[in-house]
Amino acid sequence: MSAHVALHLHDVSKHFGRPAVEHLELAVRRGELYALLGPNGAGKTTTLRMVAGLLAPDGGRIEVMGIDMATQPAAAKQAIAYLPDDPMLYDKLKPMEYLEFVAGLWGVAASDAAPRAAELLDWLDLSRHAHELTEGFSRGMKQKLALAGALIHSPQLLILDEPLTGLDAAAARQVKDLLLSHVDTGGTVILTTHILEVAERMAQRIGIIQHGRLIAEGTLDELRARTDGGTLEDVFLQLTSPA
Amino acid sequence: MRGKPGSSVWLLQHELRMFWFNNGRRRKQRNWLLPVLAAGWLGLHGVAYFLLRKMPEVPPSVLPFVAIAATLLMVVLATFMFSSGLKASVDSLFERGDVDLLLSSPLPSRSIFTVRLGAVTLGVAIVYLALAAPVVNAGLFIGHVQWLAMYAVILAWTTIWCALAMLLTLLLVRVLGARKTRVVAQVLSAIAGALLFLLAQAQNLAPDSTPASLQGMIAEHIKPGSIFAPDSVIWWAGRAVTGSAGHLLGLVLAAIALFLFTVQFTHGFFVRGLQQAVSTVRARGKPAVALQGRFGQSLLHVVLRKEWRLIARDPHLLSQVLLQLLYLLPLGFMVLRSEQHAAPGVAAGLTMLAASLSTSLTWIIVAAEDAPDLLQASPAAMRVIRRAKVAAAVIPILALLAIPLAWAVAQDALTGLLMCMTVVAATLCAALTGLWQGRPASRSSFSRRAKGNWLATVVDLVGTLGWAATAFVLIRAASPGQNAYDARWAGISLALALLTLLLAWGTRRRTG
Repeated sequence: MSAHVALHLHDVSKHFGRPAVEHLELAVRRGELYALLGPNGAGKTTTLRMVAGLLAPDGGRIEVMGIDMATQPAAAKQAIAYLPDDPMLYDKLKPMEYLEFVAGLWGVAASDAAPRAAELLDWLDLSRHAHELTEGFSRGMKQKLALAGALIHSPQLLILDEPLTGLDAAAARQVKDLLLSHVDTGGTVILTTHILEVAERMAQRIGIIQHGRLIAEGTLDELRARTDGGTLEDVFLQLTSPA
Repeated sequence: MRGKPGSSVWLLQHELRMFWFNNGRRRKQRNWLLPVLAAGWLGLHGVAYFLLRKMPEVPPSVLPFVAIAATLLMVVLATFMFSSGLKASVDSLFERGDVDLLLSSPLPSRSIFTVRLGAVTLGVAIVYLALAAPVVNAGLFIGHVQWLAMYAVILAWTTIWCALAMLLTLLLVRVLGARKTRVVAQVLSAIAGALLFLLAQAQNLAPDSTPASLQGMIAEHIKPGSIFAPDSVIWWAGRAVTGSAGHLLGLVLAAIALFLFTVQFTHGFFVRGLQQAVSTVRARGKPAVALQGRFGQSLLHVVLRKEWRLIARDPHLLSQVLLQLLYLLPLGFMVLRSEQHAAPGVAAGLTMLAASLSTSLTWIIVAAEDAPDLLQASPAAMRVIRRAKVAAAVIPILALLAIPLAWAVAQDALTGLLMCMTVVAATLCAALTGLWQGRPASRSSFSRRAKGNWLATVVDLVGTLGWAATAFVLIRAASPGQNAYDARWAGISLALALLTLLLAWGTRRRTG
């Protein structure tokens, strides 16, 4: 089983005065697109930040590609890319300079990074803006550049927190295509989104988290079977509404 | 009293409320701040009355000279009013983002811009009015009714400079875009502050700076018939301050004319939709060109290049950091005049400058990191990143000071080497203190970085002074004919500098 698992959370907990994540058990398979859904404040972002190594769990263990995040953080992070909802960019850098920096952080060889950077900028339609500072970019352009940065080291596990927020239809399509292409080439994606249609159409499996606990998980059909059926929105609302 | 919704008065009230919310502190602070400020302001009235009561009457023959002094003061104030006007104009027209909302409402567009320029002017003038009020009001009680002219002068003078600032803003925005115009406004504001400081130090900077020689120099330039003569038109504003009705009327009329012209021009600028062109300039992009990057370099190189790029591309921050050099100029002049303390004084000044620059750059590079999560989420070793950041702060400073240090070594090897030692040590210690004590902040809060981090501020200050004192005493002790007394003081100041470093390390923030 573990050879097929890209991400495994064992009984993970995190408290900020009050519980944010409680005894969370989660396994994401290699090569799958997994959508983590939940109402606001359910613990999705905290979970992703722990997976990315930005927060240490108070209890439990996180394994990325079989590597323990607590004992071998550098090796685990090497396999990950994390894209928060607020892109981690530098206003005074140009896109190519940003990619140079990110490639340097992940130690990507020049022979791999240079063509990959050009390819990503081209793919995301940012080549025309390669010589502009990112401070003048729109929200969508920033999000796409951050995504290019996340993909520059060809991560095995891509973690995205609300990747489609604020994007126009064309940019959202580009991002979705890029994520599906990443999965097609054997990569793993875990994302959170409030746009349930995106999860419905793209995700192979869906996890629903509430009050820091995983309350349901499975394919859309499996989730439908647990409820009265309908769209993912119907399923989600039935599962998360107070009894 | 509230104006009728949609009226100009109502709009002005809205603008002033926005000004108060934008410039006031947080709500908790505002609750106690206002009564304290009001009490202090009323207290100033008492102080002004007490001082003015004993002031002798100014004889008419001296009034022209008072007008000259008043004009010079107003020129200095004009630099502040102009830079504040620039910032306020950029904010109110392009940054606040409510111009489109107002223009889409049924309010007449001309009154929108009239009120907006009026609010910018009042927002700038209010500080000067508040400062002048205790003197003017106290003057009323002792019979100087003509001092009321001061209020009109301040309002007219602020109107003139804010109107000019708004016109320049529109011109700059047209050429540079709103963002760069804001930077220009910030840089001008920093330069205005430094200018006032240098003017205050003019006596120290002048080659022959005795009061008698300065008086002689002034008398030479203002003799009758010259362009600077007391009755010259150049001193018009000052004559208005002294209560000359004709000059005051001229100033007020000029202000009204410029105000109306600016409103007309601003209105035209927006009605023609030029602001749209300005905002779309950046979106066009350049045609695709071959993309090349420098990949595959070491982590140290990558971090150094990134940090230096970010600093070099932030002229506002850069100007604030480099202005520290300007503030040390008078010190340098004073030190160089004194033969006895020249070398120790220069060493202390350079050491202090190095430490101060190092503190600023380290804050920008370490505490004001734009994407800390990106660094933490990467597999790169944080200790390597931190070392690279310290190097990024320290290297430019040592490169900047290499020339004066080389000059010092060439003059006297021992003195020069001691100077090098204290400069390098102070630079490194300040950088390490910043690394250990820095709290995450945004670059825009550079000028407020000391607030809320008093321990780091104290440690920085004491460490800087400790190293400066060490440099001064050590080099004095190394001079021929000095006794062991200086060497002991050198030991004490060095111990103080090292202790502060130890304190900074002992109380350091734990980071990943």
